[in-house]
Amino acid sequence: MRKSFFFFIALVVFSNVVLCNTNGLYSFSEEEKLFKPIANIEIATAEGEISLSDLYDKSPIILVLVFTRCTGICSPLLSNVKENIRQQQTNEKYKVLVLSFDSSDSISGMLQLAKRYNLDEDKQWIFATTDRIEALNASVGFNPVWDSTSQQFDHEALVVGVNGNGYIVKKLNGLRASSDFRSLIKEINSEFVLSYPLPRKNMLFSCFTYDPATGKKKISVGMLVMLLPVVLTLLVVAGLATIKRKPNE
Amino acid sequence: MEEHKFILFLFLSAAVLVAGIFHFLYSTTLNPPSESEGLQNPLKKRGFVLVFMFIVFVVLLFVTVPKSPYFLFSNETPAKVVYVNAQQFAYMMSYKSIDLNKPEIETDVELPLNEPVEFRVTSVDVTHGFGIYNSKAELLIQTQAMPGYVNRLRWKFTEPGKYNILCLEFCGSGHAVMRSSFTVK
Amino acid sequence: MASLSLKKITAVWIYTILILFVLAILMGITMRFTQGKTISVSPIEFYLLMTTHGVTMIGIWAAAGIVAVNYLLARYIKVSTSLNVFALVFTVISILMLWASTFIGKFHAGWTFLYPLPFHIAWETWATPMFLWSLMVLSVSWFIWTLGSMVQILKKYSLRQSFAIQHISKKSPSVETPPLVLISMVSLLGMVVCFIAAIILLALLLAEYYSAGKFVNDPLLIKNLTFFFGHTIANEALYLGLATLYELLPEVSGRPKFKTTWYVALGWNCAIIFILGAFFHHLYMDFVQPKGFQIFGQIASYFATIPSVVVTIISIVTLLYNNKIKWSLVNLLFFIGLMGWIIGGIGAVIDATISNNIILHNTLWVPAHFHTYNVMGNVLFSLAFFVWVANEFSDNNDLQKYNKLVMPLLMVGGFGFVLMFYWAGAYSVPRRFAMYPSELSSGTALASAAAWFACIYLVGVLLVLFDVLKKCAKVFSSSSH
Repeated sequence: MRKSFFFFIALVVFSNVVLCNTNGLYSFSEEEKLFKPIANIEIATAEGEISLSDLYDKSPIILVLVFTRCTGICSPLLSNVKENIRQQQTNEKYKVLVLSFDSSDSISGMLQLAKRYNLDEDKQWIFATTDRIEALNASVGFNPVWDSTSQQFDHEALVVGVNGNGYIVKKLNGLRASSDFRSLIKEINSEFVLSYPLPRKNMLFSCFTYDPATGKKKISVGMLVMLLPVVLTLLVVAGLATIKRKPNE
Repeated sequence: MEEHKFILFLFLSAAVLVAGIFHFLYSTTLNPPSESEGLQNPLKKRGFVLVFMFIVFVVLLFVTVPKSPYFLFSNETPAKVVYVNAQQFAYMMSYKSIDLNKPEIETDVELPLNEPVEFRVTSVDVTHGFGIYNSKAELLIQTQAMPGYVNRLRWKFTEPGKYNILCLEFCGSGHAVMRSSFTVK
Repeated sequence: MASLSLKKITAVWIYTILILFVLAILMGITMRFTQGKTISVSPIEFYLLMTTHGVTMIGIWAAAGIVAVNYLLARYIKVSTSLNVFALVFTVISILMLWASTFIGKFHAGWTFLYPLPFHIAWETWATPMFLWSLMVLSVSWFIWTLGSMVQILKKYSLRQSFAIQHISKKSPSVETPPLVLISMVSLLGMVVCFIAAIILLALLLAEYYSAGKFVNDPLLIKNLTFFFGHTIANEALYLGLATLYELLPEVSGRPKFKTTWYVALGWNCAIIFILGAFFHHLYMDFVQPKGFQIFGQIASYFATIPSVVVTIISIVTLLYNNKIKWSLVNLLFFIGLMGWIIGGIGAVIDATISNNIILHNTLWVPAHFHTYNVMGNVLFSLAFFVWVANEFSDNNDLQKYNKLVMPLLMVGGFGFVLMFYWAGAYSVPRRFAMYPSELSSGTALASAAAWFACIYLVGVLLVLFDVLKKCAKVFSSSSH
């Protein structure tokens, strides 16, 4: 019994050391500009010019920032967002606004992009361009930098959640899990999420991942570590049950 | 706030009651009536106490759980959001998210009266506490500042004045002097 | 019956525990006088005293419980002396390592060593691994100790019998399980769980320490594990004290022995589950913990009291009410200890209510309640056992001449001491402050008063200690018993 116990411990420690090799502080970039209003700019869509407030007055927005010439993160980002949105089975109303941050993009180019992702027929998705991208970038804390050698923008894969009052309530940086999107959708619909983790890479044994679809926290690997003492004790007790007794001693 | 006094009163009354019961029990052992056979029907009495305590606890649960801080002002939009990054042994506070590379710290945080405000509390080093004290040095509400997590604490201040923040989780040698303050107008 | 070798090792344990107890009380008094501004101690010294005081106290009273039940279990089963010697050796080693890390290495992250504080080194760099290894040594050796104690029981009783399951299903089973065996088994099992939790916790922390930044832990997971261990060990130590009470109180009061009945069996078996869930109340103010866990924490904290408290209280009332009792120091210590335990429990239930915890968490209310059921509860249970066993060693049941003084000193000192904590806690004075800010100057005055009360308590303890140590010494001069 003791052998299996030490084996468990060795396994736990070993898997920790092997699997975790990044250096870890927390990133605060997703916190920037939260609870600030988004710039109420005019955007050009397939149905003509509208302002952002026309959109968020009706329903909250998930804003995805891309450009058509992008050879980097934009395509995986769009696929990631599309896939994650498709997986949501929530009743909340919201629109996904895919906005170009490249002033040389045209609306027809954006619509072609929509077609490529089979999103041109989807009423939930809006593809648009704008003349006032600097104002928008400043309001959401997005800083693309033009690199003339590669003819590309250096930029983050940014998704911004905007609530019905036009306030930025949550941002997601990088390609993210479905649960992050559910959290985002809850927040843009003004549901209070009591606490949230900051992005970090090297934490194998976190206890919970918040699952807003059910309003509960999903148990993740760390929770198993928490249960380990009880499980091991049950094993120990099972081992104890095999002890030979001498009742008449 | 009456709550603090009430808790002490409740506890002291219960403690005195327990002491009284023990004193009574003790006194019955000194000169018991000679024909006495001790406690009658202990099993029945035990059952009664069990059921009684069970009911008391269930009622207490139904009364107190909905008052838990997790549900405070959850349906309201905060009029102001304050970002709090705790670190040994100070608080960085700002109306904006705090970028550690170029922090823009608000030294005189002012919050509105009678409107919900939200504190987004986290820590950059060890676990700290974030306890809000009113001008009478009474603890109103608190949360923990745990690195890697942002805790959202919502509150509505109903009295204007200066409020102090004290660290309520042991964080090292400067724990007792780790503090900050803000004003409600 | 206890063999001579078991008596000797028990006597050595008692010496160790009482001497460490007095030293740890002195540390506590120093801390309270510092907070009261009567003496001046630097914050670092204050916090290293706080760290040492915490681990030492938790350690010695958990040990006292295991030692006492081991000694008393010898009435029913064969108890291994070598297991107790083994535990003593490693306990002393670990205490020395601990004191080296704090007093020499200046480690002062608190006895809960809340992650990641131990890694934000503000002391000698070797002090962090020394502290963690000292606890590792303690956890592993005590894991073996408690597991070994369970094995001893299981050599005589089957697993079912040791948990008195046969009493739940049958009215008068053929094999009767004494309450001492049942409660010891329940508490030892809880201790096994918490030492496994401690070993995992320390392994994770040491892994982070030796990985030099390549691996970091989740603060939330570590906090859960910390209190899984920390809360449970404190709680189970108290239950071991109750086990000795069940065995000895009727005996010294001249009343028939307690018998295990179906409700005693059921109550104590239920206690296992609730106790393991109660630690969640330490994380109420961590909003990231799921709400379900928080509410479960409150439910478990409430219902954990029902089986043990109600069953015990009614048993004691049945034992004593309207019965002529010959009171001596031993049964008075048990009796008052029970009262302190219940009063502390009321403080705990108030604090374990989430809507109160928001204004009580990490105020002095917390040390108030746990000091009540230690200082005026578990310590008194263990002192009762020490006095009883010392009388047995010396064949001397006479009340020594100071005994009439002991109870008033312990009660005035002990209850006065904890009352200052409650008072300050209700008025929002934070715990673990080396000094209080000017707006909380009531904390300063109360701290000073508390220190004086603690001095009174210490005098009571010293009176017991001198008597017990003198009588225990006789066991070494006797060749057979």
